[in-house]
Amino acid sequence: MKRTLASEIAELQQKYRGLTRVLETEACIELLGPLQFEASADGYEPITDEFEIKLIVPSSYPKELPWVRETGGRIKENYEHVFNNGKLCLAVPIEERLTFEQQPSLVGFVDKLLVPYLYGYCFWEKHGEHPFGEREHGEAGIVGFYVEKLGLSDDIQVLEVLLHLHQYGYRGHHDCPCGSGAKLRNCHGHALKKLYQLHTSETVRRDFCAVLKYCLQRDSEGELELPAALKRRTGNCLEKTAGNSR
Amino acid sequence: MMINKIGYSNFLNNVAEDIDIPPGKYQQAVDRYESVGRWLEDGSYLGSDGAPDIYPQGSFQLGTVVRPIRAGAEADFDIDLVCELPINKDSTSAYMVKKMIGDRLNDHKRYRDMRDDEGKRCWTIIYAEQDGIGFHLDVLPSVPDRRYFSDTSIAITDRQGGFYQWSASDPRGYGKWFNEKNQAAFEQVQLQQRRSIMSKAPTIYLSVDKVPDQLVRTPLQRAIQIMKRHRDVKFNGVQAAKYAPISMIVTTLAAYLYQNETDVYAALAAIVSKLHGHAGLVENRSIELKLSSLDLIRRMSDGTWYIGNPVNGEENFADRWHEDNHARARAFFLWIDALKKDLVDVIAENRLDTARNQFKKVLGASAVSAHLGLLSLTEVAASPVKVTIENPARPWKP
Ligand SMILES: [Zn+2]
Repeated sequence: MKRTLASEIAELQQKYRGLTRVLETEACIELLGPLQFEASADGYEPITDEFEIKLIVPSSYPKELPWVRETGGRIKENYEHVFNNGKLCLAVPIEERLTFEQQPSLVGFVDKLLVPYLYGYCFWEKHGEHPFGEREHGEAGIVGFYVEKLGLSDDIQVLEVLLHLHQYGYRGHHDCPCGSGAKLRNCHGHALKKLYQLHTSETVRRDFCAVLKYCLQRDSEGELELPAALKRRTGNCLEKTAGNSR
Repeated sequence: MMINKIGYSNFLNNVAEDIDIPPGKYQQAVDRYESVGRWLEDGSYLGSDGAPDIYPQGSFQLGTVVRPIRAGAEADFDIDLVCELPINKDSTSAYMVKKMIGDRLNDHKRYRDMRDDEGKRCWTIIYAEQDGIGFHLDVLPSVPDRRYFSDTSIAITDRQGGFYQWSASDPRGYGKWFNEKNQAAFEQVQLQQRRSIMSKAPTIYLSVDKVPDQLVRTPLQRAIQIMKRHRDVKFNGVQAAKYAPISMIVTTLAAYLYQNETDVYAALAAIVSKLHGHAGLVENRSIELKLSSLDLIRRMSDGTWYIGNPVNGEENFADRWHEDNHARARAFFLWIDALKKDLVDVIAENRLDTARNQFKKVLGASAVSAHLGLLSLTEVAASPVKVTIENPARPWKP
């Protein structure tokens, strides 16, 4: 049985009692209030803290994930992982989705994404460093996620992988885009398939464009040598995308 | 429902106090070792230019003493006393130094009668006291051996089979290191504790500021005491007893990981959870960067283990951890796992009698019985939501 949004919100308020439902429009539902938690992670000190937050659940949820603002003025301005509009940057989009799917509900969103983020902030405030690491800004962070998650060795492999997803979706019988010569299903297939299932064609396109932009940038700066053939293939592919959307 | 944290922390503190050396007993121990010290100072030793330097080392000096358990019962306190003879190490031998101190103790009729069999590194004098709580006073013969950029390092004697050799040590340097780790918390608690000791034992000291530093206990020292007691109970009489983690390892790791938490439970929880995060090392798995960068427990490329003495990196406290298929390493992490379950995660227990029985089992009934009343349950809803973070995502910015 598919749970309704109302029951998810009730479950969230049952657990995080400080949150109250404030605004309701056709576009979104907002929850406001103090979020109290006592978080621990294996190998780290437990931290108990409280943040004033606003949680905005779009009507397109769960296709799109909620976003969060910190409203108490607690998060310092020099903390880097906040959008200019005040939205907290919990993770790169695909990592956010991947983490959310571990427990796909509003409670899961808060437990798996928001509280670890706030724990990380408290830890940073106390020790000046991130307990679980941080992603680089912009496209580099997206590339970094794929490198780590799929165990790839460089940016070019990431570009090949995203080009594959963008062009074909997931094709297990194709050669693995990492260049190993093995079939995808026998190489990076397992991990990649999992990610692909969390993507939509739109999110694949966004990540592909981000990674391409990053690689071209580095290529023009002479920090990376993008093979001419790969450049051509990505170029063709972009034109096709542009053509389709017209 | 869960266990009330403040009550639980007080409980741990009181249990630690219970297995600690009481102020009266401490004073008695000081009297005992000072007399032995005077007797040793008055001796004459071949090649020695001056009287020996006598000072306590180990848990007695660090303030982490716990009453040992022998054959399942609370036993005598162990006190280590260094006897540093001012003799050039190269002009004597480990055998000579050990023998000269042994002979001097033998010259004293009472000490001769109280002496135990020769130890590996020490001579032991056993005091059976009238109140039934005695002492094992271990006298460690040694000579100065200033190395490793330390002006306190010494060479102690070490008997292996019938042979005597030197072994490096630096108890004063270690004590100084430990005190630095403990200093901030010490400053915070000392005055209040001196007052409390005065009011509990008004006849022993003349005034609050006469209460010795060695009787003040920070949450770090209390946490170490609790850890050592849990270890002593867990390894008591079992087959693997010889693999029990040594106190130097427990003390060193705890002192490194302590971050001035202000209560015993918080200190214990932080130390144990960080140690627990190292468990992957047994299977050669990588551990959290935050932990591996501390470099506390190192896995060498040949599979051996390294936990350095903070004042002498050449001394490896874990030098035997790889033996018998890593038996000591395994025992250490199994113990940490039990410690976490028994004394940290127990906070979520919602039945008091279950928790109480468990505390009796893992810390010893005699040590906990008087303090079980401090435990109470509290409404979970009143406290913040508990979240265990696993596989966290990393923050980003577009
Ligand atoms: Zn591959």
